[in-house]
Amino acid sequence: MRRAERPLLQLPVPLIGGFMLVLLSQLLFHHYSQVSREFRYQPLSNPLQASTYQGIAMGSEKLLGYLLAIRLQLHDSQAGQYFSYNRIDYALLVEWLEQITRVNPVSEYQMLLASRVYSQTRDKNRVRLILGFIERNFDHAPQLHWRRLAEASVIAKHKVGDLKLALRLAEKLALQPASTVMPQWARDIRFLLLAELNELESAIAIIEAMLQSKAVIDPDEKRFLEEKLLKFQQELIESRQSIKN
Amino acid sequence: MFTQTISLFRYLMLGILSRRLLVWVLVLALLTMLAGSFFSELAIINGKAIVVALVADFLRYSLGLFALLLITTSVAEDYEFKQFERLLTMPLSRWQYIVAQVLVIASLCLLLVLPVLLVISFYGDWQVGLYWASALWLEIFLLGLLGLLAILSLEKIPLAVCFSLAVYLLAKLSGLISQMLAESVRLSDGSLTSRFVDFIFGAILYLVPGLETFAENDVFFGNVNLIETISVQFSSTLIYALFLIAVCLVDFYRKEFNL
Repeated sequence: MRRAERPLLQLPVPLIGGFMLVLLSQLLFHHYSQVSREFRYQPLSNPLQASTYQGIAMGSEKLLGYLLAIRLQLHDSQAGQYFSYNRIDYALLVEWLEQITRVNPVSEYQMLLASRVYSQTRDKNRVRLILGFIERNFDHAPQLHWRRLAEASVIAKHKVGDLKLALRLAEKLALQPASTVMPQWARDIRFLLLAELNELESAIAIIEAMLQSKAVIDPDEKRFLEEKLLKFQQELIESRQSIKN
Repeated sequence: MFTQTISLFRYLMLGILSRRLLVWVLVLALLTMLAGSFFSELAIINGKAIVVALVADFLRYSLGLFALLLITTSVAEDYEFKQFERLLTMPLSRWQYIVAQVLVIASLCLLLVLPVLLVISFYGDWQVGLYWASALWLEIFLLGLLGLLAILSLEKIPLAVCFSLAVYLLAKLSGLISQMLAESVRLSDGSLTSRFVDFIFGAILYLVPGLETFAENDVFFGNVNLIETISVQFSSTLIYALFLIAVCLVDFYRKEFNL
């Protein structure tokens, strides 16, 4: 049997008033906390030293390195919202990437984040910081990071518009010893950029040296080089003629 | 004498085995797989290796804690229900109880790592799975022995678990603590107190297992010589396990029981 209930209006006024007050404060608190959460971006904290992370890892340094990289990768997604990379302090971001690389030096993850994820900003200065990180870390493990340096060279050319920087990165790739195994196209970026910089003579000299050294065995690659050589020689003759005229 | 020890081992083992144990192990395996699938969604590259390594570490710590709780509870019940007094009225030596307990720990660890072998082999390479199961067996076995020593000496489960975990974590974080102490010596310009603390900690490290005693998680990310790694861990664990068993025997023989 259902127990009889008093109508709400017959309840003591202070009780009703208190209930309404508490309900209102709950609604207001929820509303404002949600609003502030929506617009609050938590900036990156300072990373600890790599040696500290190595100590905390309890023998699982590589795993911790990957987990830190994933944590960094998720930084732009906060409270269900994605924040623009413009909000991220890139100097701090690079510091994080450096520390993670020291924790797990044999991982490609940080370099991949740098070249594919964090380079996707329109701010050229920020991209330069990222390219600097890629360049520094390439020196430590060229075999592991040659793809990232090749990407960095392309980014420097197309995104930053700095051909000299692109050429410097491409030269690093091209000057790697033969023991660093990478496809020939990665080494070819250098002469392509030289041609873009109108340094056709240097580009021609490099291609000729490559063809004469017999280092290029693949017939398709050889044909590509010969075509480029011919094209650059023609361009050089044309440019000399236009100067004379 | 051998038959008596085996009978005692079987009796103690039956006290630990239960349906609850099976359910716990299954729940852990399920949780592990859920956590693993979550991380595999997040990782851009090397997702598989990250997931296996994460699952392996999760199982390492959860099963380690689980084994520790089971062992300490089992011995604590022997104290509580006056089992030792009863056993000592029988023609049994104290060392036989310790040997039986060591066999129980070894068997329990084997039961716990079998699902690990399956889970890791399911996620990755079976050779790495076999390595991890063996290495984890050694690690949990050592933690179990530490728990046995702690519960025999301290007689209370919370104290024994805290002590065992403290020693385990001290061993695992020894690198970080040493680094902090070295930094403290440097910042205090080599003060006597800092150097003394550093020295004491260095001395304590001689009595805790070294990092080579624990399963190597890096095997999931690269070319690690599995045979060499497990051999180093085996020899290190063997020496430390013998040391712990010796301490257990000394402590247990010193105990007075009111018969």
